[in-house]
Amino acid sequence: MKVLLSWIREFVDVPESAEEIGKLLSVRGLALEGLEIVSGNPRGLPPQDDVVMDFDVTANRPDCLSMIGIAREIATAYGRPMKVPGGRDFSPAGHDGAMAIVIEAPELCGRYVAAVADVTVGPSPQWLQDRLTACGIRSISNVVDITNYVLLELGQPMHAFDLAKIDGGTIVVRRAKTGESITTLDGKTRTLKPEMLVIADASRALAIGGVMGGADSEVSATTKRIVFEAAYFKPSSVRATSKALGLKTDASTRFERGMDATAPARAIARACQLLEQIAAGQASGTSQDVYPAPPLAASLVLERTRVPGLLGMNVPDADVERILTSLGFDVAPHKGGPCGDGATGDGWNVTVPSWRVDIKRQVDLIEEIGRHYGFEHLPSTFPGVQQAPAASDPRIVRDRRIRSGLLGMGFSEAITFAFVEAVAAAPFHHGEAPVTLANPLSEKFAVMRPSLIPGLIDAVSHNRRHGRRDVQLFEIGTRFSPRGETRGVAFAWTGLATADHWSGGRRDVDFFDMKGAVEQLAAVGLVSLTFAEAELPYLVKGRAATVSADGTAIGVFGLLDPATGDRRDLPSGDAVYVAEINLDALTAAAPTDTLRATPLPRYPWVVRDISMLVDDTLSADTVRGTIRLAAPGTLIDVREFDRYQGQGIPDGQVSLSFRLTFQSPERTLTDEEVQAGMQHIIVALTRDLQAIQR
Amino acid sequence: MTIDTSIGPDRARELFRAELGDVRTAADLQALRTRWVGRKGSWVSSFMEALATATPEQKKAFGRGANELKKEVEAAIAERETALAATRRPAHAVDITLPGRTSALGHRHPLSLIRDEVGGIFTRLGYQVLEGPEIEDDYHNFEALNMPEEHPARDMQDTLYLQTPLMPRGTPEGLPPLASQVPGAVAARLAPQPLTLLRTHTSAMQIRHMEKNAPPVRLVAIGPVYRKDNLDLTHTPMFHQVEGLVVGKGVTLADLKGTLAAMAEALFGPGTGVRFRPSFFPYTEPSAEVDIQCIKCKGAGCAMCKRTGWIEILGSGMVHPAVFEAVGYDPNEVTGFAFGMGVERVALLKWGVEDIRLFYENDLRFLEQFGL
Repeated sequence: MKVLLSWIREFVDVPESAEEIGKLLSVRGLALEGLEIVSGNPRGLPPQDDVVMDFDVTANRPDCLSMIGIAREIATAYGRPMKVPGGRDFSPAGHDGAMAIVIEAPELCGRYVAAVADVTVGPSPQWLQDRLTACGIRSISNVVDITNYVLLELGQPMHAFDLAKIDGGTIVVRRAKTGESITTLDGKTRTLKPEMLVIADASRALAIGGVMGGADSEVSATTKRIVFEAAYFKPSSVRATSKALGLKTDASTRFERGMDATAPARAIARACQLLEQIAAGQASGTSQDVYPAPPLAASLVLERTRVPGLLGMNVPDADVERILTSLGFDVAPHKGGPCGDGATGDGWNVTVPSWRVDIKRQVDLIEEIGRHYGFEHLPSTFPGVQQAPAASDPRIVRDRRIRSGLLGMGFSEAITFAFVEAVAAAPFHHGEAPVTLANPLSEKFAVMRPSLIPGLIDAVSHNRRHGRRDVQLFEIGTRFSPRGETRGVAFAWTGLATADHWSGGRRDVDFFDMKGAVEQLAAVGLVSLTFAEAELPYLVKGRAATVSADGTAIGVFGLLDPATGDRRDLPSGDAVYVAEINLDALTAAAPTDTLRATPLPRYPWVVRDISMLVDDTLSADTVRGTIRLAAPGTLIDVREFDRYQGQGIPDGQVSLSFRLTFQSPERTLTDEEVQAGMQHIIVALTRDLQAIQR
Repeated sequence: MTIDTSIGPDRARELFRAELGDVRTAADLQALRTRWVGRKGSWVSSFMEALATATPEQKKAFGRGANELKKEVEAAIAERETALAATRRPAHAVDITLPGRTSALGHRHPLSLIRDEVGGIFTRLGYQVLEGPEIEDDYHNFEALNMPEEHPARDMQDTLYLQTPLMPRGTPEGLPPLASQVPGAVAARLAPQPLTLLRTHTSAMQIRHMEKNAPPVRLVAIGPVYRKDNLDLTHTPMFHQVEGLVVGKGVTLADLKGTLAAMAEALFGPGTGVRFRPSFFPYTEPSAEVDIQCIKCKGAGCAMCKRTGWIEILGSGMVHPAVFEAVGYDPNEVTGFAFGMGVERVALLKWGVEDIRLFYENDLRFLEQFGL
């Protein structure tokens, strides 16, 4: 809200500079957004500089969308009296045939005041034009300028109709008819709906109530008689209409927040006074005020103890009364006893001024007291603890461990947007419907990610396109499907597997680096995994695996399908490995029974190596399984340590070397029993897998 | 160098000392030994030879000196030899100035660092840290927070909606346990609703917590929230929020001030002042926007704080009675405070990041500037 300092000073004596006022008001609830020096000519005085102060008015304070409202805040902040604005009282003269008002929709229009005036339309005097311009409103003509001047000064939106264009001289306030249309002042033709309120004459809609006037009844250079309108419209109705039409105006902004139902009469009187003052015309004496059910002034009980009880600081009674009175509340002592809003103690009976539509409960009054007494007087204290703090979300600790594990493996943490492009998400839905946004910011953010991988691919792609060869990234976050949300972790790896070093050993990432990372993550949660070949639209067949724990699939990993990478602008030829693990499923698979430590082994272990030739289509898993099945219970570890194909090995065969470790928790193993165990294993390998020992 | 036996032992000692001073390597030392005390042709052997033909007086005068010099030379050489050996690099020595072999550690995301830091601060203050669902129903995101359908405050947070609402979580058995103990109207509202939107603030989480737990409450909720904001230097459509909620008997606005002052000092350094400015949020009354003293100019006024000395950091206030009524708490029995702070905003201020979009690009050159 832009206010003029000179205008404010008509209502309150504030010799202080605009900067000082702005600084104080900023800590009293009206944040100063900007200051601008303008050349002004207030009220025929010699030209002098004036200041436009732009205050940020919160949505609950429509009363401050006016000079008088802001002036009242300034008066209270400085403890100065308000000067009651001059002007005649409005007393409706009744309709005399020149104009009549009929409210057909009283549920949407609580009050309608109108006055007829004879006018000579022309430009406004310079000072009036200057004031409007300074506050961001274009000067149009003396009559229209007066309605805007009153809007700014009192906050009450007004409208002026050309009486000659009101068919039958009767103003009908009614709901729009289905399909009814109107051309508004901005020249656009708008189709209305029955839930919208119109100001009409005998034959057609003249204005959209509380939103904008119509072009048909606009005051023009030839207008001789006008009708000034000031009304009270139902806030939610104006809001809905403004939203449905996509039409926001100075009037609608105020009406939808709630206006002072007592203001329309004052506004009409002020407008008529200004009309005479600038010699633009004269009220003709014809006026009407239709006000079927004037609301009672709201009244609240404020308990004395509630003020420090909520604020945590004592405010002397005199200050409580001073602040409320200055803001326009009527304050009278209240003797305790149960009444509304749970109040039982001594305090005050407070009558709420009609313009304070935001004040509904005790706490609202306490806020007024607190902010004008000054939050700077608040002491710094701490809330008492009444019980032991409850535990935090277990996911926080789990995620921290997963994060540490990945950081230790060289992955840096990424955070990507949870919405992705539909095409990027497409391969990841696993047959489920996408969770799509109805009103996305853009196509790039249209679908809630079904997987963390698309976001990571984009992040890898960004890094690759910015000169980074080696990229390791991970993200812990939420994935979305029609079944709901799951927490997951995904990681991506491209480029070197081992850091570049002068001693050599430089090697790019491969499938088994990624598998190792997956295994280590599972180890964080003490979960053991099984792997199976996978066919997925975004992974290269033959280099893709599903990961299961406890028989439940918990994730996938493998080499990213190059076409998928291409679509996300990854440099072609990049080998990017990706993995994703469902952390909720990983947690579910983790052992729940309390961990018990195992005593350290007291007897030595025995190691035996075995090399064999087998068919190269046999999986390592099968060979390992055969060994384990045939081995005695003392076999504690089987490890592949060499795999060789090539010279000296027949085609279609592979040489596998295993290192077997035997150990008993009860005794030292003898050479003979280990040998016997090995023999068993070799027989089984030969019999079941046609293995040839080397 | 020819052996000049014409000089006496005293002069010879001086020469030897000078030469010894120039010895740098084992080879230098060997050459020195040969020249001074070698079996043949050294200064000592030549001098002794020359002395053999000398007069008994000369023998007497120089012989002892020559012998002393010989012992002295040998001792000095031995000493230097030990010293040299001590500095010699053994055969298996490596060049320790070559770069080490590292398995690179990853870097933490700055937003994750702030989340942890704030979570840690409030854990120390005795709060529980919670995370909640990101897809919400209208009731928990708006209505229970005193923002009914027609409330103008809904404009303050432009909401992203789902094309097709999702089934409520945990239906039908997931009804909050308190549902049977609260008044009928509240129980009716607790009936699960379809999930229609992305939460615009973590406050939704607080409603869910209060529905299921009687006071006192002492929690912070951390996580991503969503608003229909275009990407620019200071806005992203997804960002992270930390929200605090304390409910109990006698909780006051002054308690909120003390708590936020403690947080500001922990986050931005000792002596960081806070200032409360009255504001408006539908779910708090009184409401306050909270500024911290500008971390760049310490309150003197600079470009960063627009010459005010203060920087806005969060919104807060005393929980509105309507919110308590919505979750079945009695506003005449308990009071509470709540605050909500943007994680990105803290990170921007703390590290002087000028473009919020950097947090979502995941450029390693950016991430690597932050610790582990």
